[in-house]
Amino acid sequence: MTNHAASLVRVTAFLVALVLFTTPIFSQDWIRTGTGLGVERVRLAAPDFKAASSDSRTGELLKVFNDTLWSDLDNAGIFDMVSKSFYPLAVPGNPQEMKLDAWSNPPPNASMVAFGNLGVAGDSVSVQGWLFDVKNPASPQVLGKQYREAATPQNARLIAHRFANEIIFRLGGGIAGITESKIYFISSRTGNKEVWEMDYDGANQRRVTNLRSIALSPRISPDGTRLAFTSYARGNADLVLYSLELDRLLTFPRFGGTNASPAWSPDGSRLAFSSSRNGDPEIYLVDVLGTNLKRLTAYQGPDVSPGWNPKTGAQLAFVSGRTGLPQIYIMDADGANLQRLTDGGYAVSPSWSPNGQFLVFSWMRSYGPGAPGAQDIYIMDIASRQWVQLTHDGGRNDSPSWSPDGRHVVFQSNRSGSDQIWTMLADGTRQRQLTNSGRNTQPNWSFK
Amino acid sequence: MKHRINWITLIAVLATVMLVGVGGCKKKPTAPPPPPPPPPPAPTASITANPNSIERGQSTTLSWRTENATEITIDGIGNVEASGSRSVTPTESTTYRLLAKGAGGQQEATARVTVTEAPPPPAATQATDEELFAQNVKDAFFDFDSYALRPDADQALRANVQFLSQHPNMRFTLEGHCDERGSTEYNLALGDNRANAAKQLLVQLGISADRIRTISYGKEKPFCTESNEQCWQQNRRAHFVFQR
Amino acid sequence: MAARAEIFLEAENWRQPLLWSTLLHTAFFGAVLGYALIYEGRSGEPWGGGGEGGGAMSATLVSSASIPLPGSEVPTKNVLATESKGLSQSLPRAQEKETEPEAVPIPAPDAKIKRETRTTSARKPPPEPPVENVVPFGQGGPVTGPYGVFNARGASGGFSFGGGGDFGSRYGWYVDVVRRKVSENWLKYEIDPNISSARRVYITFEILRNGQPANVQVEQSSGVPSLDVSAVRALQRIDTFGPLPNDYAANKVSVEFWFDYRR
Repeated sequence: MTNHAASLVRVTAFLVALVLFTTPIFSQDWIRTGTGLGVERVRLAAPDFKAASSDSRTGELLKVFNDTLWSDLDNAGIFDMVSKSFYPLAVPGNPQEMKLDAWSNPPPNASMVAFGNLGVAGDSVSVQGWLFDVKNPASPQVLGKQYREAATPQNARLIAHRFANEIIFRLGGGIAGITESKIYFISSRTGNKEVWEMDYDGANQRRVTNLRSIALSPRISPDGTRLAFTSYARGNADLVLYSLELDRLLTFPRFGGTNASPAWSPDGSRLAFSSSRNGDPEIYLVDVLGTNLKRLTAYQGPDVSPGWNPKTGAQLAFVSGRTGLPQIYIMDADGANLQRLTDGGYAVSPSWSPNGQFLVFSWMRSYGPGAPGAQDIYIMDIASRQWVQLTHDGGRNDSPSWSPDGRHVVFQSNRSGSDQIWTMLADGTRQRQLTNSGRNTQPNWSFK
Repeated sequence: MKHRINWITLIAVLATVMLVGVGGCKKKPTAPPPPPPPPPPAPTASITANPNSIERGQSTTLSWRTENATEITIDGIGNVEASGSRSVTPTESTTYRLLAKGAGGQQEATARVTVTEAPPPPAATQATDEELFAQNVKDAFFDFDSYALRPDADQALRANVQFLSQHPNMRFTLEGHCDERGSTEYNLALGDNRANAAKQLLVQLGISADRIRTISYGKEKPFCTESNEQCWQQNRRAHFVFQR
Repeated sequence: MAARAEIFLEAENWRQPLLWSTLLHTAFFGAVLGYALIYEGRSGEPWGGGGEGGGAMSATLVSSASIPLPGSEVPTKNVLATESKGLSQSLPRAQEKETEPEAVPIPAPDAKIKRETRTTSARKPPPEPPVENVVPFGQGGPVTGPYGVFNARGASGGFSFGGGGDFGSRYGWYVDVVRRKVSENWLKYEIDPNISSARRVYITFEILRNGQPANVQVEQSSGVPSLDVSAVRALQRIDTFGPLPNDYAANKVSVEFWFDYRR
C-alpha cells in the first residue's frame, strides 16, 4: 500500500508541476496589456496632504481633498496603493520634509510618493502637490504642481481630480486619467425615465432632461456638448438631440418607426442608430444635422445597438437577431465585411474599447425557457476572438461602456436587488456600485 | 196557518209600501224653480306642457283648453284658438301663461317648462365604440425572442380582422411589447418586429394600412411585473389600442 | 482483522501488480509528457491565441496602421553591429551633447558611432559578463538603478538611454514606464515555437517629445526572424510612453534595447 501511495503522490506532484508550467497562468495578461492596465503596478503611497493654514475651513476642504485623491489613485487601476497603516509617522508637507529612505524601505516599500499641503487664505484654497520617485535619490522629483481655486468643497474635489490625473498620466504611460470624465445614464427616481449625469466615481448625480416621458439609451457626443437618445415625448420612439449648453432639445428630423440606440462617430460628425422606418429595424447612418440618411443593413430581423470603433471610425459593431437569438457582428462603416463574433447564446450591447482592440458586451451563454444562465459582461479581443468573462456575481449585467482611458468599464447590474450602475476595471476586478436610489440603467461614459 | 198568513201579509204590506214609495218617488214630479237670468259664463282655461321637462334643443307640446273665452293668448306665442296644441322649443326654462278672456271675465292658466343641459352627445357613442373594440379585438402573443405569429396569434388576428372590417372607421395602434428579460435596446427592436408582424397580417387580410399605427415599447410598459413565465408570456404581445 | 489476512495473502502476489503498476505509470507519464510537449509546442493560447504558430504573422490588430517592417541588416549597419571591439572610451561626451538637441535627422553611420561611444562611457558595469574582455556593442550597460533590466516570462532584457547617460538617472521613473510598457507588450506567441533560445537581439528606437516611439530598427539580429519581428512589434504596438519629462531639454531620446530569449 505505501509503495502505491508514495508513487501516486509522486506522480500527482509531477503532473501538477507539469500542468503549472505548461498551461497559462497568466491568461488574463493579454487583457491587462491591451487595455493599458499593465501587468506590473507601481507601488504608490499617497499620504494625507498637510494643512498649511489654520483657517477653519481648512479641515473640511482637506478631508474632501484627501478622500478624493486617494479614491482617484486607488481606482486608477495602475497603482498598487501602499496601505496607510504602513506609512511612517512623519508625513511630509513639502519636499524639505520628505525623507526618501523612510518611504522606499519596508514597511512602506513604495516606489512613488504623492504628498503636499493644502491651505485656505481669504476666499481661495491653494494646494501644492509633489510626486517623488523615492527610489531615485539623485533626482526624485517627478511632478510639482500648484493649484488655486475658490474655497469650496467642490473645488477641493476638483483639484484632487486634477492632481490625480497628472500622476496617472505620467506614471501610466501617457494615457490621460478619467477623474474629470462623466457618466450619463437613465434614472427613474423622479417617476419618469430621464437622462442623468454624474462624475466617474458616482458623485454629483444630477438630472439633465425633464421631458416627463420615457428616455432611453443616452449617448454623449465626443465634444461633450450634446446628448443623443430615444424619447417618447412626441408619442413615438424618436431619436432626439439635446444640447447640454442650451438645456433644450435641438431640431432633428423624425424618421418614423422605432428609432433606438444612437452612437456618435468618433469625429462627432455622424450618428449610427437603429430605425424601423421601413418596417424592419436596420442600422442607419445620418449626419448630425439629420441629413444624408443611409441604410447599412438589409436583413430581416432586429438590428440594433451599433457602436463605432473609436480608434479608426471606420467600423461598427452591432447586434442582430437575424439568425434567432441576438448575436454580435462587426462590419465596415459602409456595411461591407460583415463578420459574426459570437457563436451562440444571447449577446447584446457591444462597446468598443478606445484603442480599437476589444469589445465588451453582455452575454447570456445559455438562454431560453428553462435555462437559468446569468447575463454577464464579457470582453473579447477582436483580432483573436478570444474572450473572458468579467462578471460572475449573478444577476443581470448589461449595457457596458468603456472609459476614455480604456481601463474601466461601467455597466448596469441588478445583483443588489434593483438595476443600478456599477463600475469595474477592464479585467473584471474592483467592481463597485455607483448609484443607489431608483432604478438606474444604460450608462454611457464620456469621451474625455 | 196563521204564521203563513202573517208572513204573506207582512210581505204584501212591505211590497206595497216599497212600490208605493218607489212609485211615489218616481211619480214625484219636482217642478224646478224658474232659473234666474243666467250671468255670462266665466271662461275656463287650462294649459299643459308635455313633456314639462326637456333638454335644451328639444321641443315640448303645449296643449290648452278654454271655454267661454273670446280672446285667448299665450305669452310668447300670441293669440291662439280656443283649444289646441302647439309645439315649442324654449331655450330656457319658461312659464307659459295662458290668458282667456271672455264676457264672463278672464281666466289664467300656466304651464312651466324646465329646460336642462343636454348631456354630452358624442361621448355616449364613442364609449360604446371603444368598449366594443376592447371586447372584440384580442392581442396576439409571442414566444420568447420571437416575432413569428404562432397559431393562436394567427387565429386571434384573423378574428380581429372580422370585427375590424365591419367597423371600417375604427383606427387603432399596435403596440409591441417584450418581457423584462433581455436588453432594453434589443427589446425595442423586437417589440417593433412584433407589432409589424401583426400589422402585416392584418394588411394582408384586407385592413387598410392607414388605420394602423405601430409603436414599440420594448420592455418599458409591462402589463405585469412578476418574474415568472406566466407574467413573461403576458408581456410578449402585440397590443391593440383603440384610437379616438 | 480479515483485512490483514488479505494483505498477507496478497503479499505473495505483489510482484506482478507492481510490474503492471510501473508499466502503466510509465505509460501514463510518457503520454502526459508527450502531450505536454506537443501541446505546448502547438498552442499559442496564453498569448492571445490568434496565431497558429510557426512564425506566420497571423494575428492582425484591428487598430494598427501599416506596420513598417524593420529594416533588414543593411551592409553598412552590419559593419558596426558586430561583437568586435567597440571604440575606445577616448571620445569626449561633450561632443554629443552639443549635437544631440538639434534633432536633425542624423545619417545612420554617425548615429551609430555616437551611440557606441555613449554606451561605452556609461558608468554602470553590464549585467552579464562581457564577452572576451571587450565591451561588445550594446553591452555598455543598462540604465542606472533598478529600472534598466527586466524580465518577461522567459526573456530578459535591458535598456540604455541616450542623452549622455544622464537621462536614465534623472528620469528613472520614465525609464520605468518604458520598461513596463515594452515588457508587457512583447507577446511571445509571434515567435516561432520551435525556437527555444536565441542570440541576443538589439533594437534601437527613439522616443519623440510626445512620447511616441519612432524609428524602430533592428541593430543586430538574433538570427531568428520571428524573434526580431516580435521585438519590433512590441515597440510598434505602443502608441505612446507619455510625453518626455518637461525639463528634459532635447526633443527626443534614443533608446537601445536588447532582448534575450529563453523559452
